Amino acid sequence: MDLLHNLYIGFSIALTWTNIFYCLVGVFFGQIVGVLPGIGAPTAIALLLPLTFTVNPTSALIMFAGIYYGVAYGGTITSVLINVPGESSTVMTCIDGYQMALKGRAGAALSIAALGSWIAGTASVIILMTFAPALAKFALRFGPSEYFALAAMAFGLLTVFGGDQPIKIVISTLVGLLLATIGLDIVSGLPRFTFGTPQLLGGIDFIVIICGIFGVTEVFNSIEEPEEGELIKQKMRLRDLFLTWEEWVASRWAIVRGAVIGFFIGMIPAGGITTASFLAYLAEKRYSKHPERFGTGAIEGVAAPESANNAASISGFAPLLALGIPGSPTTAVMLAGFMMWGIRPGPLLFQTKPDLVWGLIASMYIGNFLLLLMNIFLIPPFVAILRLPYTIIMGFIVIFASVGAYSVNNNLFDVWMMLGFGVLGYVMKKLQYPIVPLVLALVLGRLAENSLRQALTISGGSLSIFFTRPISAIFIIAAILAYLTPVIRWGMKGLRRAKMDVA
Amino acid sequence: MWLADLIGGVVVLLLGLAIVFFSWQLSYMSEYGPGPGFLPRWIGFGIIGCAIVIIIKILRKQDKTGAFFKPRTKMGVSVLIQIAIAFLLLPLVGFSIGLGLFVGVSMRTMGKHRWISCSITAVVTAIAIHFIFGHWLSIPLPTGVIGW
Repeated sequence: MDLLHNLYIGFSIALTWTNIFYCLVGVFFGQIVGVLPGIGAPTAIALLLPLTFTVNPTSALIMFAGIYYGVAYGGTITSVLINVPGESSTVMTCIDGYQMALKGRAGAALSIAALGSWIAGTASVIILMTFAPALAKFALRFGPSEYFALAAMAFGLLTVFGGDQPIKIVISTLVGLLLATIGLDIVSGLPRFTFGTPQLLGGIDFIVIICGIFGVTEVFNSIEEPEEGELIKQKMRLRDLFLTWEEWVASRWAIVRGAVIGFFIGMIPAGGITTASFLAYLAEKRYSKHPERFGTGAIEGVAAPESANNAASISGFAPLLALGIPGSPTTAVMLAGFMMWGIRPGPLLFQTKPDLVWGLIASMYIGNFLLLLMNIFLIPPFVAILRLPYTIIMGFIVIFASVGAYSVNNNLFDVWMMLGFGVLGYVMKKLQYPIVPLVLALVLGRLAENSLRQALTISGGSLSIFFTRPISAIFIIAAILAYLTPVIRWGMKGLRRAKMDVA
Repeated sequence: MWLADLIGGVVVLLLGLAIVFFSWQLSYMSEYGPGPGFLPRWIGFGIIGCAIVIIIKILRKQDKTGAFFKPRTKMGVSVLIQIAIAFLLLPLVGFSIGLGLFVGVSMRTMGKHRWISCSITAVVTAIAIHFIFGHWLSIPLPTGVIGW
């Protein structure tokens, strides 16, 4: 009953003309960002975040959420039509989607992607509605030790999901934590790493770093390694979008499996939508009776990852709203937004800001429906956006990043800092130091440090507090296991090699 | 790439050493619990440890192929210089004109568009920045000598 009442509150907020407008702007913009290679959801949200200082936080969040799941829809278009993923979460769609397009079934590939995304997205919202409040209720028991352990687990999981260079992931995480310590220490009031620069006393604002490290870095990367592909020139009629009965039968369970995998992976800190789509594709291939069809234009190979990435983009809101812990770079940027608006996401958010939480959740139904319509009727105009010269897009990014960084404190020092972080991000990418751990550690840094210091103050400096409280013990053990995963992997590789040598 | 990786590892090591050095000047423990130097010191130690592992891995690496600089890196550096020049000009010409100029010049140097298109885009961009950010979103952007 409570759920229906909350949903009623949510829809009464989401269905106001203002919020419908923000939702439409969000999904439309998300779809465009998804189509454009070289600019992703975190970049788009980071660049727009400073411009929403004066906007109602609920409306701004509805728009940002729309961008997030809209990107997952939009990225499919380029994956299918030019074999270039508009988004990292649609990389797997290229494999079979492009093959389908070569066989003249581009319409069906785009259709199943939109339909699968819509079904999985809507199912994900329904589960999120019941799961997130329960998670928030559970998190009310959390104290400083649990929060520190949770942050430690999130950092640890980055080494599992973040790529094949775990040491570089750890370094990136530590640099993010270091950046979060810059400025006045809130306990002692002493300046840390400010080197006499008054502009650094308040710390480096997230927005300055995010605008540089996502926005300007992307500009340099895209100039150096442009993602280019040849557009399949196929006239698409409305009837081409209809699926055959065989195609629907082949993909219906793939959508369900993709949705389930996506929902769970999206909730894991550091799981993210890219991992979700990757795992859903692999699972589908393994489950299939004809795995040899994958890579040659199997529709399940489009349905599963597309459903998974959309489900994950929605379920990623559960840890963000209920725990205040972002699971992906995009939700990390949104967490920075919460801080900017002076709202603290976490278990109490459901009680203190029910209008924001339920308005946001209800807007996801509307946003997903709008995207379904857009992806059926508006594909040609979105494809036309691909003809926009990159120099113009680059100009937009630099303008938004500069204005965004300037608007934080109204000084040019931040604009230069933003450029500096852009260069840092570029060098890090070139040397294969991942950026995502840095951003996650940056936004969680203050919470992690404060919780650690509070917990150790309570325990009189003893680390046992993290192991004697059951919830924190589970998180800390998970964190330790996550950090040990690369060592275990390395050991198993060595063992396998030794076995092969014997054979 | 091998050399760039190695230099990267050494820079990370130096960063770790610097963090430990500066955090040593902050108190590690305070009267009530961990002090302001507590976490930074451990971050520094962590970075030093990881940097040593990275450097050893790089030194033991057999495959030393791959280049740090790519054929289009020069273009990226040129854009970086253009952005820096635009930022240097901001106090003089203002935000709108400075960034408008950047867009026009980068279109010419990168996209090889015609001068006329570049000039029109630069002017339109400057006007758009002035009205969208300065007026509509009320961001007090710095103005230059002509008041824009």
